[in-house]
Amino acid sequence: MSRFLPFSRDAFLALFEQYNEAVWPAPVVAYALGLIVLLSALKPYRGSGRLIAAILAGAWIWNGVAYHMLHFATLIWAAWGFGFLFVLQGLMFLVTGLMRGRLTFSFRRDAAGWTGFALTVFAMAVYPLIGTIAGQAWPSVPAFGIAPCPLAIFTFGMLLMAEPRAPLHLLVIPLLWAAVGGSAAWLLDMPQDLALPAAAVLALARAFRKNRLAKM
Amino acid sequence: MSRRPIDPRRRTLLLSMGALGLAAGLGPAWAAAPSGLLRRAVPRTGEMLPLIGMGSWITFNVGKDPALRAERVKVLQAFFERGGGMVDSSPMYGSSEEVIGHCLGQIADTGGLFAATKVWTPFQWLGVKQMEESERLWGKRRFDLMQVHNLLDWDAHLETLKAWKAEGRVRYIGMTTSHGSRHAEMAEIMATQPIDFVQFTYNVLDREAEARLLPLAAERGLGVIVNRPFQRGDLFDRFGKHPLPGWAAEIDCANWAQFFLKFAVSHPAVTCAIPATSRVDHMLENMGACYGRLPDAATRARMVRYVESL
Repeated sequence: MSRFLPFSRDAFLALFEQYNEAVWPAPVVAYALGLIVLLSALKPYRGSGRLIAAILAGAWIWNGVAYHMLHFATLIWAAWGFGFLFVLQGLMFLVTGLMRGRLTFSFRRDAAGWTGFALTVFAMAVYPLIGTIAGQAWPSVPAFGIAPCPLAIFTFGMLLMAEPRAPLHLLVIPLLWAAVGGSAAWLLDMPQDLALPAAAVLALARAFRKNRLAKM
Repeated sequence: MSRRPIDPRRRTLLLSMGALGLAAGLGPAWAAAPSGLLRRAVPRTGEMLPLIGMGSWITFNVGKDPALRAERVKVLQAFFERGGGMVDSSPMYGSSEEVIGHCLGQIADTGGLFAATKVWTPFQWLGVKQMEESERLWGKRRFDLMQVHNLLDWDAHLETLKAWKAEGRVRYIGMTTSHGSRHAEMAEIMATQPIDFVQFTYNVLDREAEARLLPLAAERGLGVIVNRPFQRGDLFDRFGKHPLPGWAAEIDCANWAQFFLKFAVSHPAVTCAIPATSRVDHMLENMGACYGRLPDAATRARMVRYVESL
């Protein structure tokens, strides 16, 4: 199946090995920041929206530059385009959330809230577990926060916890990535990334419903 | 798989076939090197090239991983040890050019190397930078063949390539396409432009090139490089589970790879095929097609009938 991509699964996993080793201990920092983001949404405080937006912005820009442009682009030229889009997503988080202060995140015990919470937990805990079950081993695995697919799933989850409405403009690039990453997951036999398109569909449906209910 | 000394009867056959090819005005001649390596002449110059080269799509795009690079060194080493010549790549293939350059630096004897790459950008000015970058990545001061990849902005790049050839910065220039696409445009270029090589897809199932491109190449004296001789591996998926026909031994095919490759390179207008692989054992199988007997027209038709019956 990977004949449709310009690289093999072996080369893809080897790239993750090199990337993860090159940026160590970034994965640890990413988990710490992820927990801060999640806890800040579970128990919001003054300025928590700006902090969450800043962290998400940093994660998207990091993935755009460090992963896509500096590493993935060695295997596929299109990674430059992916990197540009990831940086753009980071800048949108910065402008919308940090500079304009228009992002508020708060967990609510409704369908959108629980779905969002489940997606964030999935990205942090279940996603790496699926890789392990599939026989992948550190460091040849996409890691939370510093790899695009779990970041996109985590972002879907956080955007479903945005109040009072899910900001649809911040869903566009993660949705595009879900299409790209999901197809690559199929071609490269990466079972954990198959969750990406499923998360995208779920997030989109929940976001529309949440926003429709918010209008009432 | 050991290198087989050529059977005198085989040599006679090959030389006879070469004479027939020349007499028919089909351009490239059949020839057997003393070692038994099958080669064919580049029509423009008569320079002899081994019939089997090496492509690098996917297979050499391994980034900076030391283990994968070391494996590719072994693959390329096996290629040269079995008499391989043309290595083909492209800036489109990710890190392939860089990895090829790394491998060439690790191999003591690359004497048979015929270095071929491509220019692939919609901007003429960037094409120059790209070709210079390819020289740096391969560690080559001059490519043997520079091609315009998939006809992208071909007229602008052709101006650059003609100038480079006139200056001696490249020996041959050419155009490529694949998947059987844009054959009409390729034919127009072949008929009107001063190029040396063309590259397109040809294999036992994808034979559209037989209608126009291959005869035109012979008529115009153009070298032909066959890409996707295994249809990106799909031929193995489709036919690999079936046994080779008994008569495959009559054309010295010990496996399906040699069957597919010998079909492609036995067309009189073909100069070489460039299968890609990341495995030494597969490279040895591929290079086996560069030895022994090749199918004649009747056997080629039989090969088609056989795979189409499976």
